[in-house]
Amino acid sequence: MKRGDDPRRAAEPVTAMKPEELLKLIAGARGDAICVPTMTTAPEWRDIAPDDLSISCVGFMGGASSLGLGLALANPKRRVIVFDGDGSLLMQLGSLATIAGAGPRNLTHLLFKNGVYHTSGAQNIPGGFDVDFVLMAKGAGYRTAYAIHEIDEFKRRLPSLFRDEGPLFVELHTGLADKTPMTARGGTPFPDQVDHLRKKLTG
Amino acid sequence: MPESVPASLILDAYKEIFREARGGRPSEPLGWVLSVPDTHQKSVLAATEDEANAIAAGLWIGGEPCILMIQHAGLYASINTLRGVAIDGKVPIFYMIGLLQRERDKDPRDSRHSMVRWCEPLLDTFGVPHARLEGPDDVHLIAKYFKLSRERRGPAAVLVGLETM
Repeated sequence: MKRGDDPRRAAEPVTAMKPEELLKLIAGARGDAICVPTMTTAPEWRDIAPDDLSISCVGFMGGASSLGLGLALANPKRRVIVFDGDGSLLMQLGSLATIAGAGPRNLTHLLFKNGVYHTSGAQNIPGGFDVDFVLMAKGAGYRTAYAIHEIDEFKRRLPSLFRDEGPLFVELHTGLADKTPMTARGGTPFPDQVDHLRKKLTG
Repeated sequence: MPESVPASLILDAYKEIFREARGGRPSEPLGWVLSVPDTHQKSVLAATEDEANAIAAGLWIGGEPCILMIQHAGLYASINTLRGVAIDGKVPIFYMIGLLQRERDKDPRDSRHSMVRWCEPLLDTFGVPHARLEGPDDVHLIAKYFKLSRERRGPAAVLVGLETM
């Protein structure tokens, strides 16, 4: 079944944002923030921001938000940005409460919401596009949580993603990325990413 | 015959590990205890063991020492994340694993409780070095296996034989 053919996906936005465009805008504004992409944001991000303060959540799907929390706790003076996916977040949904409980002021949790498991063939996530992650993040206790549907609104809010006190959750309504970890394999192995980032952070 | 280990001895061992990991430099916090559920001070309460593994990776990358405190059921629940983070990812993670319902008069591998009985075989299957904390005299194993996790860049575990006091 192609994406969009399923009647359960009626709430899918008509003018979804392109994830690649969002990532390029983030790259231009992030400064020295640590970025944690996962799944379909990972291939594009490694092209946009190679060999920098980033680490992809590879090999433990669902762990990006918790990896970001650990980084945020260890680096309280530096902003940490997680590029989560909706299917990924559902795998560790409890991380919303864990993050809210830890209360990192330097953590921004971006959810690239496309309603499907894109990497494995774009099968619907449970609940499809109707799942309200903003409500969940608010209920868990995030300091701020909201959704962005349009690119102009994203551009307008972009500076606040790096400035506002966390934990901050933003649900980004996106279309499908051009690449996935299956169609664009490669990249630096996770253990090497760990070593590179640890060296940069700890000197 | 296993004995219960006073929690104060375990916490003292943690503090010593953290001081050594920081090379004696003063720090606040001294170290991190990732606990499911939360039972100790200076801890991050994680909803699941999967999360605790990934948080530990972030702390390690940022240069912060930490210990994971989980139960055997949590080990079973999070084994895929342990594989991805600590084994394939080569992130050193030290686990304190509680053997809830372990019988005082039985070897854990002979326990009538499957949660207890399969814990060590599971660790063996994944090549995770482990030791039993059978009493107060074994508290030194905490530091030993913490260091082992660092030396081998992977997981290492100490199994708490009976409930702490």
